[in-house]
This record gives sequence, structure tokens and C-alpha cells, in this order.
Amino acid sequence: MLKKALMVSAALGMGLGFAQQKVEIEFWSWYLSPKFDNYLKDTIKDFEAKNPNITVKWFDKQDTMVQDLIASINLGKAPDVVNLNIPDTFSAAQNGFLTDISTLTPMSELKGQFWDNPLNNFTVNGKPYGYPWYGWLNEGVMVYNSDLVKKAGYSEKTLPKTNDQLLAFAKRVKDRTGQYGWIPNFIDASGAPLWHGFFYADGLPIYDEKTGKAQFTSSKHVALLKKYVDMYKAGYFPEDMLRKEAFQLSMELYNQGKLATIVGGPQSLTRIKDANKDLYGKTRVAEAPLGKSGRSTGGGMDLVIPAASKHKKEAAMFAEFLSNNVNQMKFAKIVAIVPTSKGAEKDPFFKQESNDPIIQASGMVGASGRYIDPGFNPPKNSSVLYKNLVDNLEAAFLGKKTPKQALDDAATFWNANVNK
Amino acid sequence: MQNKTRTALIAYAFLAPALILLAVFTFYPVIYGSYLGFTEYKAAQFAAGEAPRFIGVQNFIALFQDELFLKGLWNSIKYIAIVPALQIAALAIAVAVNRKLPFMAFFRAAYYVPVITSIATAAVMWDWIFQKEGTLNWVLQGLHIINSNSAFGWLNNEHTAIWALMLVTFWRGFGYYMVLYMGGLQAVPEEVEEAAYLDGATPFQTFWLVIVPMMRPTLLLCSLLSTFAAIRVLDEVVALTPGGGPLNSTYTALMYVYQKAFDGFNFDYGMASAAGLIIAVIGIGLSIVQFRLNREGEERA
Repeated sequence: MLKKALMVSAALGMGLGFAQQKVEIEFWSWYLSPKFDNYLKDTIKDFEAKNPNITVKWFDKQDTMVQDLIASINLGKAPDVVNLNIPDTFSAAQNGFLTDISTLTPMSELKGQFWDNPLNNFTVNGKPYGYPWYGWLNEGVMVYNSDLVKKAGYSEKTLPKTNDQLLAFAKRVKDRTGQYGWIPNFIDASGAPLWHGFFYADGLPIYDEKTGKAQFTSSKHVALLKKYVDMYKAGYFPEDMLRKEAFQLSMELYNQGKLATIVGGPQSLTRIKDANKDLYGKTRVAEAPLGKSGRSTGGGMDLVIPAASKHKKEAAMFAEFLSNNVNQMKFAKIVAIVPTSKGAEKDPFFKQESNDPIIQASGMVGASGRYIDPGFNPPKNSSVLYKNLVDNLEAAFLGKKTPKQALDDAATFWNANVNK
Repeated sequence: MQNKTRTALIAYAFLAPALILLAVFTFYPVIYGSYLGFTEYKAAQFAAGEAPRFIGVQNFIALFQDELFLKGLWNSIKYIAIVPALQIAALAIAVAVNRKLPFMAFFRAAYYVPVITSIATAAVMWDWIFQKEGTLNWVLQGLHIINSNSAFGWLNNEHTAIWALMLVTFWRGFGYYMVLYMGGLQAVPEEVEEAAYLDGATPFQTFWLVIVPMMRPTLLLCSLLSTFAAIRVLDEVVALTPGGGPLNSTYTALMYVYQKAFDGFNFDYGMASAAGLIIAVIGIGLSIVQFRLNREGEERA
């Protein structure tokens, strides 16, 4: 009897021994299937060929990603590599869900693989929590409808170069053509504020990252907000900008010929090409106008390793592989992303001459990974603060509060809740 | 005696599968959720594997000091205004299509289509309708009720947004209640209607004084269902006004719960559960009122 038990446990022990040799890690991407199935499958195959002891099980998660991650942690079955964006990485790291990746990949190696700016995008309280993956610039290019722009009396050379000129442009396009010139980013798809990015673009501070206190109540801040509010009240921006994400709204109106420009990444061009071939023929690209600071903010995706992962070492190897320059460049050739890896800027792919707007735009922004500027990082308790900021900005746009009152109220709420 | 025990045991044995399912998937979550309302349980505790910390009624005190929650609660209560309109309309339509006339099957099906339309599709359609240059304003201009200068986006106006959403809820809901009422109408004998007609009652009188009282049990059921649906409304609100509408005019209490519980990694299960409990208590209170009203009505009848 005892002998039998011993034999069983020995067999079990051997089984475990074998299982340890072959490690299976789970990788979650976000909204990449089915469009990029081939790219991801090939890259995974490549990784497995180089690391015969590791197999990668890939899932593409979509709108329930965060909930699924929380549930899987609860069940003790956390994935090992997860693709998050900047705000989610911040709140996940602030609440202790993620692994400090410098404990897995030495800082020197991280700095060798990525530019500082993208790496800083995922650095929370001085520690890196994500391998930067593909990125984008918020003010990457200006896509424009050449017919409308001409009708408004602009030529390629007189297009706006600064945010102030862009406001004047939006006014003139509306006055002369009856269509909108441009739509500022007010909220993102989740309802979080984007408009305060215009403060940053003009070199004005948002909050003190050390104390968490709001810094957006100066007379310069008020004057800037007022400019936009006045434009909105005079009907130069569509009402829907307060309710809908700017990118979605811009696509809707641009494709109907009711909007002259979209300032953003090259991804809008693919959408225009799919939706309206004629319009795509009239679409051109130009350098995006910038604020007084001359900085173009941007964002990006990363690969994080949950604190609950059971195979952190292998997870780090895979995350590093997927985000290296070779694999990011392969990705950039399929879709207009901005690689965040060092060396991408020298790739001949970004130096092609072409008349096609998509290729032109990819070239203009593709090589600029090192300039991706995080702007400012999400504060602690960001969901509550952001909701209140949007509410106050909205009250200013709708004329319920003066710009000064709105910013003062938002700052009071911010200071009372940031460290809660 | 022994026989009785045996009968009881057999009855419970038959009930057991359903009871176990209910216990696991309904009673336990309800009890645990209610308990969470009295605890502090935030994302950071969850990530560290800590247990919820009992804090008494602190969450409730915080909620009643939170303007956003109070605004949401008020909007949810406002939303209940849809119940009488929806029920009367659904019953009237049910009576109308419950006749043996040509094309009735078509109408019944047509009225039911919104119930099975996905909210994503419906949202695109209603978004067009409510636009500043949308169908609704076009119709109103055609009828000379408004002129083109006073046109506005119905979802972008703080005074109209919630009513616009209620219209969507109405549209999505009345086919469903219509079917329930059609079921109830099977129980109204044709002779009663005939008798009313012979007594000289107008169709409106027949509907109001004969059919409505006879449909009391179904009316109670449907009103309860639709009250709960109204106080828990979320789909159309989030689809059409993701941030809670202009100046939070469509921000409902359930949206608050949803954001606290599911908004990324900053979740706060304690506050979410406490807010959910408040909504549940209001819902239960309203059902008691409805039961009372129904009983009084019965006594009078």
C-alpha cells in the first residue's frame, strides 16, 4: 500500500518535472483579431521556433478585456502577457496589478530596445510597467479635403501651422463653405477628457505629479479655454463633439464631405479609403498644426506582465521579442503604426516616395517613435477626476459656467479627490 | 404523519435542483453583494488579495454626499415616468391587434421587431433621428412646429436628452409588453366585450371600463417589470450618451454603479454595491406601492 502511494507520488513528481520543462504562456492582445491574425500567428511561430520550451497561447480580447483580466486574476488563472493602453497601464500599476518589468529585463536592456519617451509612457512612480509596443501621434498629420480647403481660399502653402491658425481656419471654412473646418478632441471613446491636451500643447501645466494638485486655473488656461468655448458657441464646432469621440465624429462628417480636416494619425486615411473612394481621391495630407510648445502628444500600447502571472520569466522573453525592432517594423509594414523601438527611424520603408496619402502619412509619422510625448500621465483616481473635469468643461462649452468658474470648480474637486 | 413527511421530502427532492441553482446564482450573489455594500473593497485591496473590510454605513453616507450619485438617482426616478405611458400604449395596441382582421399578423410582428433589434443597430438609427439635421427635426419642420433656426440635436440638449432616451426605451419595450397583454387578453371572454357593446358603450369606454379592470393582474405584472426595467435602464443610455449626456442630464444611478464596478482598474466594489442596494430598495418600495394600488383597485371593482 505504502509502496503504491510512493510510486504514484514519484510518477506525479516526474510528470511535474516534465511539465516544468515545457512552459505554456498565455498572451492577450486587444482588438487585433481578425485583421492582424497572420502577423501575430507568424510572430508567435517565430518565437516558439527560437524558444522550443515555450508555447504561446494567444487570445484576442475586445471590449471586455479589463473585466476578463480581473476575473482571471480572481480565479488564479491570470494571463502572462497582456496588451494594455497607457491609462489602463497606469491605473493597473497604481493599484498593484502589474509587475515592474525592470525586475525581469534589466533597465539597460530596456533602454537599448526602446526610446525614452515611449518607455516613460509606461513608467509609474519611477518604475517601468510595460514593454512599449506600437504607438501613434495625436497630431501626426493633417488629412484634408482639398476641394473644401480650396473653396475656403486656402492653398497647400497657406494651410494652418499652429493651433491658433487652425482655429482661424475652422472659422473661415465654416463661413465660406458652410461645412466644418476641424473638430477638437473633447472626449475619448470611454468619455475621458482629451480637451485638456490643448493646455499641454501650449506648454501649460495640468497638475503637479508630485503632490497631485491641479495647476490648470491660471489666466492663460482660462484664456485658452475661452477661445474654444467662443468658437463652439458661435457654431464653428458641431454640437455632437461634446457627446461623441472626436475621431468617430470626424470620420462620420468627413466621409459625408461635411468636414475639411482631421488632425490625427494615418489610420483615418484607411477608413476614408474604405468608405468613400471618390473622397479619398481628393484627400491630401500635410504636417499637423501644433500648439505653442511645438510638441506633438501621442499614445501607445504596451505589453504588461500581471503580478499574478505564474511564468514571468518566459512572459518577459515573449514581450521583449514581440516589441523588438524587427517585429515592430514588420507590423508597421502592414498598418500605419509608429514603432517605439530604436532603429525604426532608419528603416527605408519610411523613406518611400509616393503620391498615395497613406504611404505619405506613414512616412511622415512612422519614423517619429522617439518623439511620442506622453503629455502628462493619468493621476491617481483618474476615473473620478476625469469625469468631473469633463462635466465642468462641458458646462463651460454649454454656457452654464464661465471658463474661469469651470476650471476653478474642476480644480477644487481635483484637489479634494486626487489622493483619496 | 409519516406519510406527510414523505410527501414533503419528495417535494423538496423535486425542488432541489432549482433551489440549488437559485442559491448559487441568485441568493448567494444577492447576500454577498449586499454585504459588500457595507465594506470597503477597492481595486488595490483586490489586487493584493485582501478581504473586504467592514465599515458600516460609511459608503451610504458618502453616496448621499456625492452630487453625481444624487443626480443619477433623480434621473432614474424621472425615468419611471415612462411606465404608465408604456403600459397603456402597449395594452391599447394589444387590444387593437387582437382582432381577426387581415394583416394583423404583420402588425404584431412589426411591433415586436424593436424588441429583438440589437441596441447597437438601434443606437445608430436613433442617433440619425435625433440629429440637428435629423429626421425628427425634419418632420417637426414639415409640420411647422419648429423652424430651421430653432432646430437642435435632441440628445445634445439638457432639457430634451432624457426624454429622447425614454422614447427609445418606449420603442424598444412596447412590443414586448404588447405580447404579454395579448396573452392576458385571451382570458377576457368575447361575450363581455359584446355585452358592453350591446349596452351602448363606446370603444373607449369598453377599453377603459371593461378591459383595463379585467386585465388587472397582467397590468400589475407588466408595470412591475417595466418599473424595474426603467430604474435599471442602461443600454440605450450608454449607447447614445456615453458620458451621461449634456450636463449629466441622462446620467442614471445604474450608470454610477456600472462605472464604480466596471470602469477599468480603479473599481470600487464597496461603493458600487452600496449604490446598487439603494436602487434595489427604491425598486422594492415602488413594487409595494404598486401592489397596494392594485389591491385597492380590485376592492373598488
